[in-house]
Amino acid sequence: MQTLQNLSFVLADVSDGFWFPKTASNFGTEVDFMYKAILWISVAFFVPMMIYMGWAAFKFSKPKGTKAEGKATHNTALELAWSVGPCFLLIWMFYRGSVGYLDMREPPSDAREVQVTAQKWSWLFDYGSGIMNPELHVVKDQPTKLVMRSKDVLHAMYIPAFRVKRDIVPGRYNILWFTPTIATDSLTDEEMQWKSDDPAEAGNILNQGKYFDFFCAEYCGKDHSNMQGKVVVHETQDDYDLWLESANRRPDDQTPEQYGEFLYTTRGCKGCHSADGTAGQCPTFLNSFGAEHEMTDGSKVAVDENYIRESILNPKAKVVKGYPPVMPSFQGQFNDDQIDSVIAYIKSLKK
Amino acid sequence: MSKAATADHASDDNYLTNTKGIMSWIVTLDHKRIGLMYLIGVMVSFAIGGTLALILRAHLYNPQGSFLSNDAYNQVFTLHGAVMIFLFIIPSIPAALGNFLVPVMLGAKDVAFPRLNLSSFYLWCAGAVFFLFALCTTGLDTGWTFYTPYSTTTSTSVIAATTGVFILGFSSIFTGLNFIVTVNTMRPPGMTWFKMPLFLWAIYSTAVIQVLATPVLGITLLLLICERLMHIGIFDPAFNGDPVAFQHFFWFYSHPAVYIMILPAFGVISELMSVHSHKSIFGYRFIALSSIAIALLSFLVWGHHMFTSGMSEITTIIFSALTFTVSVPSAIKVFNWLATMYKGSISLTTPMCYALAFMFLFTIGGLTGLFLGTLTTDLHLHDTYFVVSHFHYVMMGGTLVAFLGGLFHWWPKMTGKMFNETWGRISAAIVFIGFNLTFLPQFVLGSRGMPRRYASYDPEFTGLHRMSTVGAFTLGFGLLVALIVLLHSLYRGKKAPRNPWGGATLEWRCSSPPPYYNFERPPVVGNPYYFGDLEYDAKSDDYVFTEPDREVVPQKLEPAPQHVDSKKDA
Repeated sequence: MQTLQNLSFVLADVSDGFWFPKTASNFGTEVDFMYKAILWISVAFFVPMMIYMGWAAFKFSKPKGTKAEGKATHNTALELAWSVGPCFLLIWMFYRGSVGYLDMREPPSDAREVQVTAQKWSWLFDYGSGIMNPELHVVKDQPTKLVMRSKDVLHAMYIPAFRVKRDIVPGRYNILWFTPTIATDSLTDEEMQWKSDDPAEAGNILNQGKYFDFFCAEYCGKDHSNMQGKVVVHETQDDYDLWLESANRRPDDQTPEQYGEFLYTTRGCKGCHSADGTAGQCPTFLNSFGAEHEMTDGSKVAVDENYIRESILNPKAKVVKGYPPVMPSFQGQFNDDQIDSVIAYIKSLKK
Repeated sequence: MSKAATADHASDDNYLTNTKGIMSWIVTLDHKRIGLMYLIGVMVSFAIGGTLALILRAHLYNPQGSFLSNDAYNQVFTLHGAVMIFLFIIPSIPAALGNFLVPVMLGAKDVAFPRLNLSSFYLWCAGAVFFLFALCTTGLDTGWTFYTPYSTTTSTSVIAATTGVFILGFSSIFTGLNFIVTVNTMRPPGMTWFKMPLFLWAIYSTAVIQVLATPVLGITLLLLICERLMHIGIFDPAFNGDPVAFQHFFWFYSHPAVYIMILPAFGVISELMSVHSHKSIFGYRFIALSSIAIALLSFLVWGHHMFTSGMSEITTIIFSALTFTVSVPSAIKVFNWLATMYKGSISLTTPMCYALAFMFLFTIGGLTGLFLGTLTTDLHLHDTYFVVSHFHYVMMGGTLVAFLGGLFHWWPKMTGKMFNETWGRISAAIVFIGFNLTFLPQFVLGSRGMPRRYASYDPEFTGLHRMSTVGAFTLGFGLLVALIVLLHSLYRGKKAPRNPWGGATLEWRCSSPPPYYNFERPPVVGNPYYFGDLEYDAKSDDYVFTEPDREVVPQKLEPAPQHVDSKKDA
């Protein structure tokens, strides 16, 4: 078996890049090894069988009416040999596959946790402290555990470069873990080049920064094929922290209104509060700034900066009449600049 | 010298001509006519499913998609899968070829329950109507698997389509039940279980699965309809249901269904390899028992469709182990077929060319299953094009190619016409090349990470997708050639002799096409794979059964031939 392993590693180097994207996680080596081992075992069976078949079809091809020269109808020893013989290879595949699988199912206790929410047709990664982003950011050599849930139908997280996949089932949490082994910044242009046959397209990708793809692998409806995203692997914890800080800050080229709209769509406001006047579970944001609302206790409150800020941080304090008190507090999830941006966005919604 | 078999008494009055008029077909109880109607039905379904496939491949020629909206793409791939599986593959060999052949191979005049047989055909038609209805109204976009909660929330015609599948399920159960009873009770004297043709073993094993597994599909789809209409809370998490439970239910039928699709193909190939090698099948008992083994094991491996869904680790590992066991009987069959060729007298006829193509394609299909049974590799390959390619190699390279081989093999028997051999072989070659060009690139696409059911894809996959599209159209062209060869034979084909290939099973002892009652008198049952008493007669291009010269000739009594003659005179 050791010989086989050595052999397929030699071959693995030759054909890497044809069968797989570059291996970028702790599981890649094992998965690729098993794939290539099974591949070569299959080739070892398939090629002689087909050569024999071609030879026999040619060699024993006879004019019509010729009697077959062979009379054998069975050979129990031979049949038992080819029934039982391959079983040893099957047992090995099963055993090695199962051991590898168990490793992939047990995240180390020190793994960093990222909460993942999948919905038709977008992803959201919650990095704690209210930082949420549609991209998956992880640190090289740091075990990462994704705790995934779905808001609607089945989805599946699939990161080909990491060789991992797990369905996301509404109503339960599914766990996926991996340790990235290659930082995306360190990918060479050549390694990124396979992303495209079209140089213009490749340049475009390079300009956006380097990343691995992840896909939704379980069919989920209309825009299933657009439900993909980027995995960025940071070289060090410091790089990651730097990104985390920037992810929680208004980009320099965005106005507070634009950033507020971004937060509105990515942080879950949109689910209940419409921006176009549509009635929903909660009051619409359209024309709400400056209006006067009647509260559940009968008092009237004008919607101003202070009321919005209070509603974000302590939403149950003053609830508009006719709506259930369902909004969660965003205390600790929004910083001051973000609250200001949301207020600016709500202000901008006038018709 | 040896004595030729009795002359062709019934050639001028066969099952196609014994009664006339449209009603004689619509209400026929003749298994051969029902088989022929099924054949037309499944071929039309296949044409629809195949056209949908070509639309998909044309769309995927460009990374951003060519002409379909995402919604349209989803509906097209759903209908492609659903039509191919429920309307084509499942009934293809058992209902079309099986209906025609099972009684004839048994030397019987019909199946055990001819009326049940006809109702099975009309249930199939009714199911097809529901599919057409779904197609013409809001479409269906759930994938053929109807996974919840998507299927309980989408606005498309899930109820019409599942009702259709429910009805088709009963059609399948009726056919299966009929064959079980027919094989159990109507075998002629002398035909013991181990003297049955292997095609009958395969059909019998298939029928067992059909009768045992299909009711589970029925109940699952009823529950799905209830969930959609009444929110009973079994599959939809919004009402405290469990979507994974649906997958267990669904695959408990649908994995055995894979063997409903492939086992009859094994039966066809067993016949083809032996007859066209003019040599006894090698390892008859191993092949026959492996069919039964597959039928039983097929009920124990459904979980391998759900390795990524969130089953417990131990369940997943057990299902992986069971999955490997089912590969053994399939491998046994392939080895035995190859051994059958050894020292045979091989005729490279059209059916044999299809059989050889089957061997190549099915072996790839089977071996790539190993990648998916192994857990570590499956986690990477699950729900990618690798899986798509794997099951197309099994179902299309396997079942469809075997179906075509069987169709060419029994076509002279069914229609009484010989087709053009040269063009038949050319069609096999084009189908073989087109098929590999379509699906080999898809293995690479899958291992490189291309997920299935995507209406558009990343630009790095463009080259392989284009190869696949070109292959699909080549394949479509090859199938068109095959169809033209068959249709052409109906008008221009030579009249088929009784036994054009030299087969020893009973269907080759009746005329082509068979008379209404199949046999003038009950045929003598012998070894279905003994070719020693078949002599080729170049003048009539026919193989005739002979009797060896005898030292001692029995006293002349011969009541049977006289009986036939007197009947004809009368």
